Amino acid sequence: MKALNVCTVAVIAAGFVVAARLGAQQETRVTAIRDDATRNVVMEQLTRAKDSGLPAGAMEPLMAKALEGVAKNASSKSIRTAMDLLQKRLRKANDLLAPSPSVDELSAGADALYVGVPEKTLRQMRQAAPRRSIAVELGVLTELVARNVPPAKASKMILDLMAHGATGAQLTAMNSAVQNDVAAGLPPEAALDRHGRGIMSLLPPPPAVSGGNVRPPR
Amino acid sequence: MNDERDELIERVARSLSSLPPKNPLATARILATVRARRAQAPSRVSIVLEWMRQPNFSFASAGMLAAAALAIGFVTRGAVSARDEAAPLAAASASPSAPVIPAANTDAVRSVPVPITFDAANAKSVSIVGDFNDWDSTAAPLTRFGSNGPWTATVKVMPGRHLYAFMVDGKLVVDPRAPHARDLDYGSDASVMMVNQP
Repeated sequence: MKALNVCTVAVIAAGFVVAARLGAQQETRVTAIRDDATRNVVMEQLTRAKDSGLPAGAMEPLMAKALEGVAKNASSKSIRTAMDLLQKRLRKANDLLAPSPSVDELSAGADALYVGVPEKTLRQMRQAAPRRSIAVELGVLTELVARNVPPAKASKMILDLMAHGATGAQLTAMNSAVQNDVAAGLPPEAALDRHGRGIMSLLPPPPAVSGGNVRPPR
Repeated sequence: MNDERDELIERVARSLSSLPPKNPLATARILATVRARRAQAPSRVSIVLEWMRQPNFSFASAGMLAAAALAIGFVTRGAVSARDEAAPLAAASASPSAPVIPAANTDAVRSVPVPITFDAANAKSVSIVGDFNDWDSTAAPLTRFGSNGPWTATVKVMPGRHLYAFMVDGKLVVDPRAPHARDLDYGSDASVMMVNQP
């Protein structure tokens, strides 16, 4: 009996220690999880993510993934696996979108990697827009690849459109048009080609690179 | 001949004067969009910045206002819970029939109000859950438009791609009008929402 009490106190104390390391807002959301096993898994995964040096912003998509599992009545084992895999993608996205990706970019980058967007594309997109959020661009690219446009083809089109200064609204409009065409039976690659070229024709040419080691064409 | 023409004109006039049947879903969508636009009022930060640009702005008056705000804050401290901090946004900009729901994890300055409609004639309760509100079925309830019309709400979402579903009488249901995303983690698909930067 005494041993049981000691164990209970130890478990509660451990819970408090873990909770103290998490943010107050996250703690509220974690403690709202009714199932003990799931709650412990979520706490453990968040603590692990923090200890591994993931930025604080990455905790939000991790938390959302856990709570998605709770809403879908997933087992604690599935939630652990999902959080673990997302943690790896977030870490990768954090590196590829350096130096300081926003929460939305991290989440969008992790989603892009999830559907099979090549890692180098994320790095190139960051280089193409180092000082503004590319969450919308990453989202459109993710959707295109999820609709079976070959990742290399979709990446090239998005990068080209970004270089020409396409807006997020133009990219999402293109994405909708591609999805409509695919639903109507057009192959995804052909649909992207058609609408990507359409938008490209409306945009000015990309600014010429000046200075540095750029050699004029002969 | 004249009689024939008059009859024809009358027939045309009759057909033109009768209005086509109303589509409740379309009406709800239009109203939800209008509400969403209304909700896109200037942010508090931009209002403060605008005020500071006024020629009659002085730091003394700003200081007095800040002191008053602090005093009120101390008096009412603890009376408002952390979850309620987001509530005034919803209360200020929405009628009871169409709540504007602040997203749980978003920066209010950059989030975008998105009108939502869902057709479920026999449902008793509908809410929208997604990565923008931690899949919390209590965070964004939809309200029925009319007695038997579609369900509507406005959610505030950050620009980008979001996964969501509807919770209809306790069951998750994907949006039939939106593309679906395969969920390899939990095995139940979600709907996809693309939100642009305003």
